[in-house]
Amino acid sequence: MSFLLQIILYGLALSSLSMGIFISMKIFNIPDITTDGSYTLGAVVAGVCLVKGYPLPLIFILSFLSSALAGSITGFIGTYLKVNPLLSGILVMTALYSINLSIMGKANLPLIQVKNIFNVFSDGQEKPIIQLWVLLSIIGIMATLLILLLKTDFGIAMRATGNSETMVRSMGVNTNRLKILGLALANGFIGISGFLMAQYQGYVDISMGIGIIITGLGGAGLSDAFLNKMAVPSVTIRVIGVILGTLIFQFLTSLAISLGIDSNYLKLVTALLVLAVVSLPLIQIKKV
Amino acid sequence: MTRISIFFIVGVLFFNACHSPTEGKKHLKVGFLDAFQDETIEEAKKGFFKALEEKGFDPKTNIQVVYKNAQGSIPTLNQEINYLLDQNLDILATNTTLATISSAQRTQTLPIFMMVSPSPQSAGLLDKKGMSPKNLFGVYESLSYIDTSIILLKQLKPSVKTLGAIYSQGEPQSLEAYQHLSDRCKALNIDLISLPVNNSSETQLVVQTLLNKHLDAFFALPDNSVFASFETILKSCNEAQVPIFTSEEGLVKRGALAAFGPDIFEWGHQAGIQAAQFLKTHSTKGLGPEIVRIRKKVYNAKVASQFHISIPQGISPVKE
Repeated sequence: MSFLLQIILYGLALSSLSMGIFISMKIFNIPDITTDGSYTLGAVVAGVCLVKGYPLPLIFILSFLSSALAGSITGFIGTYLKVNPLLSGILVMTALYSINLSIMGKANLPLIQVKNIFNVFSDGQEKPIIQLWVLLSIIGIMATLLILLLKTDFGIAMRATGNSETMVRSMGVNTNRLKILGLALANGFIGISGFLMAQYQGYVDISMGIGIIITGLGGAGLSDAFLNKMAVPSVTIRVIGVILGTLIFQFLTSLAISLGIDSNYLKLVTALLVLAVVSLPLIQIKKV
Repeated sequence: MTRISIFFIVGVLFFNACHSPTEGKKHLKVGFLDAFQDETIEEAKKGFFKALEEKGFDPKTNIQVVYKNAQGSIPTLNQEINYLLDQNLDILATNTTLATISSAQRTQTLPIFMMVSPSPQSAGLLDKKGMSPKNLFGVYESLSYIDTSIILLKQLKPSVKTLGAIYSQGEPQSLEAYQHLSDRCKALNIDLISLPVNNSSETQLVVQTLLNKHLDAFFALPDNSVFASFETILKSCNEAQVPIFTSEEGLVKRGALAAFGPDIFEWGHQAGIQAAQFLKTHSTKGLGPEIVRIRKKVYNAKVASQFHISIPQGISPVKE
């Protein structure tokens, strides 16, 4: 049972990342590679502040804001500087590697014996059940906020921008501003995953974000693969679907590990999994 | 419908995969976790299992080995630790730093036997009282391999005035080793000219830049970027007639002049002896992290004759 519980914990910590990818990829239609860097940035900021003993809520906010700043820079480069969105993500991600190193001052920061969100409620002991409650509450609050935001006028304008930018612009909305704010929001969510993961795994490493985007894509993609049967799934269902999708995706990749698939092929298996879940909705359309 | 059934099958498979290994435990179970894999690191694993075999623990008969390798990916590493911790292991052997750190952070009970890892102190694993985790055993190395390597360098090429080196900003040990190297060079009045690299694709350019500054010798700090791109370094250094010193035998086989450092096979072997003792007695009495015992001096005969360097007694040639 503990393996299952650990997968759920791991998946929950990553579902904030998936919600971020959901915003950038599913709402704005931007494949935002800043993710790899902003995830690490969130973790780095969390790690450095934890060691300094800052209060946990402050660290949470700092992680969110720093990653959001990175996202807004990607947005700015992609809109006002008119650089291809994929390239602007790559640029910011590359730059973040150096930024992260300079914030940490070294490549690996252990977080042993520091007060963190998982042991603060249980006298320094890390108990999986308490970890589960902590993660459920944090992810619950973040999902609720995201759902509420997407239902406001601002949120509807954001969703419309992803669907038809020209239409939204013709109504006098500044889509550039929307995109920058949207990417900031997405990366803020991603940074929180870094914040959670740093404390879950007990250290921050400069390379922890490499290839992490695929996890988010898998989670967000899985939920869409299931939800596309409904004509217009509500935002609430879609966001909850993203969280469940992330958990299922973690189950599937852990399955690959427990089945003893050669580690050399793990990334291939992951890629094929994501391909399968991303292409499922398209196959559906053909049948109709 | 078909889709639902596919997921159902996958689900059933998963639960089976999760539960079957924990039933009916006959053998002692040894977990082995590699953070990544290369020829040099592989030696430690070989040494570890050789030692177990010598002490009567054979994977073919009386122990069961659960081997996982993260191939350099931290998300995979985390998932694999989750998996290993659920396997009712008797011990977990961890090869290289990241595997050791990650495991030590995730379990406080399962005995961990580390190899090719830095001391608990430089890995940041000490608690507030300065104690290493109670379940951490195995073998580590301090930075003294830099000292020994510099001694060897002075012995073989006393005329060295300027020494070149690259270090990886992304690797904790590399940076630490570099700072130590720089201190040693200052003490010996050697000019250390160095540049950082972020990954192995930058090595060529960086090494070329260094070689333009007229080096007498190049010191290859044994980190992942150097391991990955050593041939590039070698080619550039050979063109500039600059010999390469290092602390790792594998790099000497690949064309460095000489090395004085821990023997990676013996390193794993030493950790294996410790692990075997625990498997026999199931007691951690007298066990703890210990420093690597066997270091050796090696040189590459072909390279030595190419640079016309005569090798004194006590340094053995590497087998090609």
